[in-house]
Amino acid sequence: MLVVAALVIGMVFAGPLAYVVIQNVREGADLADIVWSEDTAGPLVRSLLLASVVSLTSALIGTVLAWTVVRTDIRGRSLWKVVAPLPLVFPSFVGATALISGFATGGLLEQLVEPLGVGSLPELSGFRGAWFVLTLFTYPYVYLPVAARLRHLPAAPEESARLLGRRPLQVFTSVVLPQSLTAISAGALLVFLYTISDFGAVQLLRYDTLTRAIFANQLANRATSFGLALLLGIVAIVVVAGERALIRRDPPTSGRNRSRALQIPLGPLRGPVTVAVGAFFLVALVGPAASLLHWLIRGLSSERSRGATAVDVDGLWSAVVNTVWVSIAAAVVTVAVVLPVAYLNARYRSRTGTAANALVVSGFALPGVVIGLAFVFWVLSTDLFVSFYQTLPLLVLAYVIHFGAQATGASGVAVGAIPPHLDDAARTLGAGRLRRFTTIELPIMAPGLGAAGGLVLLSVMKELPATLFLAPIGFDTLATRIWSAMETVSYAQAGLDSLVLLAVSGLLTWLLVIRAAEHLD
Amino acid sequence: MSDAARPLRPQPVSIDIEDIAVAYDGPPVVDHVSISVEPGEMVALLGPSGCGKTTLLRAIAGLEPITAGRIRLGDRTVSTASSHVAAERRRVGMVFQDWALFPHLSVARNVAYGLPRAERSSPRLTAALSMVGMEGYEDRAPHTLSGGQQQRVALARALAPEPNVLLLDEPFSNLDASLRASIRTEVHRLVTGLGITAVFVTHDQDEAFVLGSRVAVMRDGHIEQWATPTELYSRPVNPWVARFVGEATLLAGQASSGEARTALGGVPLLDTRARGAVQVLLRPEDLALDAGGTAEIDLVEYYGHDTTYDVRLDTGESVRVRLASVPRFSRSDRVTVRFAGDATRAYEVTDAESTDSATATRPASAEG
Repeated sequence: MLVVAALVIGMVFAGPLAYVVIQNVREGADLADIVWSEDTAGPLVRSLLLASVVSLTSALIGTVLAWTVVRTDIRGRSLWKVVAPLPLVFPSFVGATALISGFATGGLLEQLVEPLGVGSLPELSGFRGAWFVLTLFTYPYVYLPVAARLRHLPAAPEESARLLGRRPLQVFTSVVLPQSLTAISAGALLVFLYTISDFGAVQLLRYDTLTRAIFANQLANRATSFGLALLLGIVAIVVVAGERALIRRDPPTSGRNRSRALQIPLGPLRGPVTVAVGAFFLVALVGPAASLLHWLIRGLSSERSRGATAVDVDGLWSAVVNTVWVSIAAAVVTVAVVLPVAYLNARYRSRTGTAANALVVSGFALPGVVIGLAFVFWVLSTDLFVSFYQTLPLLVLAYVIHFGAQATGASGVAVGAIPPHLDDAARTLGAGRLRRFTTIELPIMAPGLGAAGGLVLLSVMKELPATLFLAPIGFDTLATRIWSAMETVSYAQAGLDSLVLLAVSGLLTWLLVIRAAEHLD
Repeated sequence: MSDAARPLRPQPVSIDIEDIAVAYDGPPVVDHVSISVEPGEMVALLGPSGCGKTTLLRAIAGLEPITAGRIRLGDRTVSTASSHVAAERRRVGMVFQDWALFPHLSVARNVAYGLPRAERSSPRLTAALSMVGMEGYEDRAPHTLSGGQQQRVALARALAPEPNVLLLDEPFSNLDASLRASIRTEVHRLVTGLGITAVFVTHDQDEAFVLGSRVAVMRDGHIEQWATPTELYSRPVNPWVARFVGEATLLAGQASSGEARTALGGVPLLDTRARGAVQVLLRPEDLALDAGGTAEIDLVEYYGHDTTYDVRLDTGESVRVRLASVPRFSRSDRVTVRFAGDATRAYEVTDAESTDSATATRPASAEG
């Protein structure tokens, strides 16, 4: 049963990738030609370089931050716990724009530092810009699972290491780090996939990666575009398979008798570390938000002086409603779809489960642009499905395929969190399959599934390209409104919409993900 | 307790396990096992970890399919190699080693889980809770209870639907030593009072002897011996069972005409036909010590109600001796060991089991 379900689900997720392959064949594109051509090699190398560097720095920042927040007596811990995952709420194109304009000549940052005698700021663009921006907004993918892991690690092995004469740093590298490697690499994998499929940030920062090349070729040179998309998909699958092969899976920390994790006093470093963490969030969270606020205020005042109309609040409200409910729908469907795969992987070690998992993950590696295009071409080319073009079910399906990967980790943890024997106990008490699922398993998994759905929901709220391609006409989401406001240079509107997006997704992230952060390990 | 338990009236049935096997990939975990349990009888499955005792229990519960043989509960066939009544339809109550209480449900809702919808807040629920002395805890969450309390809730939950059979998987192994004996006695009284057919799994010989009217000693998936505790203790079928059940010394001897000549002198044998080289089973309480002589005290262990001595004979063999007294000898004292018991068992030396057995062994109940 479960195996069949997992196979079907895997096939659905493989859909866009399969479509890309079919298009390659149909267009008669010679993949080898495309790969080895001068025009491809550059973007491919740049994509891989950027994704590798961003995942490494995200892994570093996410791990260090998680350890500092969870395991030390840093001041204001409860505040940092809430704040640390929040940069995730920035869509990369919004974050990039905010940072670019913040750093730009005459931008907010220059106005702030000018009185201090700082001359010119480094321009934010190219590789360094993309690296900086993407790291700032993706490290929470590492932070969340690692923080959960660190919270659950039993204290005894670390205490033993201390008693055997190891200093705190050695304890971290020899005891804590090896036990957190799975969480770190799983998070870094999501960062890698996010980065190679990102379009917004690299476009705005003018760094030529594969996604930019795909986008540039999409109309003029469809064969090349699909060839490059296939290349991206292959890279993703290779990386996913490599991660699974290289990283030993940790045994899960046992559900019962969890002792309090060990806390390290920072001593004289307490002040400086607190300041450093604060400074980091100033750059990653407060800065971009302030930059958006700056737009809004500046835009409002300039529009007022020009006598132009103020911002459109009615449209904003309907976009909020659209965004929230389409995200919730996508999150619920995604969790429901991914759950059988999670069951298969958590309960039984099977090849089917592994394969289905890889296919689910591959959906995340294809850029939204490709998924959008694949759906458009596919739907328009079949008589049966043409009526689904630009309907909400199709949009939700695209989201599910694109973001299923984000739900697999937390769903697996949720399934694994069911104590052993509960199912057996319920059976001996006469409960059938359905009753056992609804009364025992579902309630116990609920927080973990909430966290899984929360991650999907957050991504859907930020998603731009697939929404642009597939949303019904007149169906605005916050992301599409921000995009069009940026294109029409309506800064006040873009600033306002972005701030609303941050507020709404920040709230939902707090409700679903941050409060349930325990359930990510 | 027996007063409050009156509303629960389980209908005890017999359990017939006929030549069953359970196998996954590879060798069978349970291999051609047969036992019959009378209605209302409480029996134990005793064995070291990995012997298949829990698998056998789960097969009775319907949580494991069997690959050969037949299991009957009363006159209903519930498992064969080709047919399988689902666990939820067997009317079998089970108490799990970790108690498996539903962590998100209150005590009352845990206990009511197996009751029909209409009866979930009925006298049956109250009866089940008061039977185990847990009235007043209805709204508590399981994790706020002590181990002993969780154990009682698990028992009440298993008994509330009035099952025909009660199965217990190492029910006391998660309890503190101080609590274990008293809860064990309580459960014993309760289950005996209800008259329900019960099978429990344990690796603790004391537990098996105290609770089980009969005990199946299991090893490597099969039953070595299926007998009453007294039979098991005094007449173990082979050296392995002798050493697993209680403390045993197996001493080399030469058997002829109902007696074995050993380093301790003559020992009367149950089997008068035994001849030649044998291993003689000596229980520690069958031996006595006299001051001065052919052996030396190696170790003294004082248990309060008795004292146990490890004694090294001058022949190089070691024996274990238990005397119902305060320590009378100390380490390095010279003593003589004397056989003071009834006729005992002897095993032929050709038995591969006994080659390394001429040493005192500790009981398996000490669970390493």
